Amino acid sequence: MENMNENKASYGRYLERTHSLGRIFTVLVLALLLAAPFVIGMYLKAMPDIPACIRAFLSVGLVYLVSGIVEYLIYVPMLGAGGSYLAFITGNLINMKIPCAINARDIVGVKSGTPENEIVATLSIATSSLVTIAVLALGVLLMIPLQPVLQSPALQPAFENVVPALFGAMACKYYRADRKVALLVLAFMTLLFTLVPSLIGSTSMMVIPSGALAIGLSYLSFAKARKAKEGDKE
Amino acid sequence: MELLSKLNSPFLYMVCGGIVLFVAVICVVFAVRAYRMGKAMGIDTGKMKRAVTASATFAVLPSVGILLGVIALSGSLGTPWPWLRLSVIGALHYETQVAEAASEAAGIGGLSIANMTPGAFATIALLMSFCIMWGMVLVIFNGKAYCSRLASPAPAKKKEGKKKKVDLSGFGDTAMTAMFIGLVSAYIASYIGNIISGNGTFSFSGSWLPLAVACVAALAMAVFIRIKEKTGAEWVDSFSVAGSMLIAMTAAIFLGRIAA
Repeated sequence: MENMNENKASYGRYLERTHSLGRIFTVLVLALLLAAPFVIGMYLKAMPDIPACIRAFLSVGLVYLVSGIVEYLIYVPMLGAGGSYLAFITGNLINMKIPCAINARDIVGVKSGTPENEIVATLSIATSSLVTIAVLALGVLLMIPLQPVLQSPALQPAFENVVPALFGAMACKYYRADRKVALLVLAFMTLLFTLVPSLIGSTSMMVIPSGALAIGLSYLSFAKARKAKEGDKE
Repeated sequence: MELLSKLNSPFLYMVCGGIVLFVAVICVVFAVRAYRMGKAMGIDTGKMKRAVTASATFAVLPSVGILLGVIALSGSLGTPWPWLRLSVIGALHYETQVAEAASEAAGIGGLSIANMTPGAFATIALLMSFCIMWGMVLVIFNGKAYCSRLASPAPAKKKEGKKKKVDLSGFGDTAMTAMFIGLVSAYIASYIGNIISGNGTFSFSGSWLPLAVACVAALAMAVFIRIKEKTGAEWVDSFSVAGSMLIAMTAAIFLGRIAA
């Protein structure tokens, strides 16, 4: 009994310290990430354009503000304290950290919300982050001799089309989820850009009406389906 | 090209590498503490080792996928910055979208090394850091309170009110998907709008290259999805976005010649 109480107290102290360390490290990483553009700017002899940053944030950044809050609310219960600090510092949550932590939890056989899960999730996220860091460092090291090839003019059309390549891939992925909404929003936005071509230069700002329209249409279809379901039950 | 050399200079490798190294140290600190605590709590060390091994092997393939993302962005932002962003905090789809929006706001039109200026790069870099920091901010200010609340038992539910409202539970996921549909649609529609009215309303003489590249990427993605559905191979997911992008970017080299 005494041993159990001692274990509980030492786990409590561990969690307290995890929160303290997690906060300190997260603040430090955040400060470094925000300072780096200014340090690089000093080296390049040009500082970031703050009004341009605000404009871009209002267009595309708001989407990530919302998704950041949602991710935080959903993933913290899965990851525990240590895992959450590490996961939000190291990123790649959906495509790696979450499935990796769940996989480790399943293999070891621990339950969500238990002290064992806290330990396993922290170990899992720390390990996967270290593997990513090592693989990327090795890859970047191997890329250095390839720099002249990557910078050759023949390859420039490839790098100039990174964004259409990304949106094409994402369109296929997300349009499958709700084809009707996707088609309506795409048709409306195409009409808008065709009739007012000057808007093409500020596409990132047009994400706001486009996103609002998509959410509005999704809400209507969601509410209709939910009401129909409730009606069936009654 | 001179700017690209600067973006690949040893100084940038040092700045970005220093931050990556610091994050690696944090991971080691957390892992060692967790392992020691697990041992003190009496958790089987074999189980903990299995968690480490399983996570290490699980992470290799997605990491290679992330590396492909670094390659994809290296032509327009140099190698060190995408290396930092994708090693720490970032994700490929996020980094590319934010970089594109910042390019527009900085007045260089789009994400391309041909139009890149030092000021635009600094602006893009700051926005990439700023836009994705919300998880970190929330965990700093609310992490402890949220974890404590999750650990304590849930309060009893209040009796339902008389007024019947639509139950919104489960709409979160739908709203997130809708948000991304809106985001993607704005860009795809701009490519179509550019073909039709880019050089004057209904002139049908704008560049078709971005739309063609997007179509190739969508086709490649469809193939990846099909492979995953047919074979049940979960690892395909790790490569699908970066792989589709690289296939479409390769196609852009050949399509670009036709368009020219």
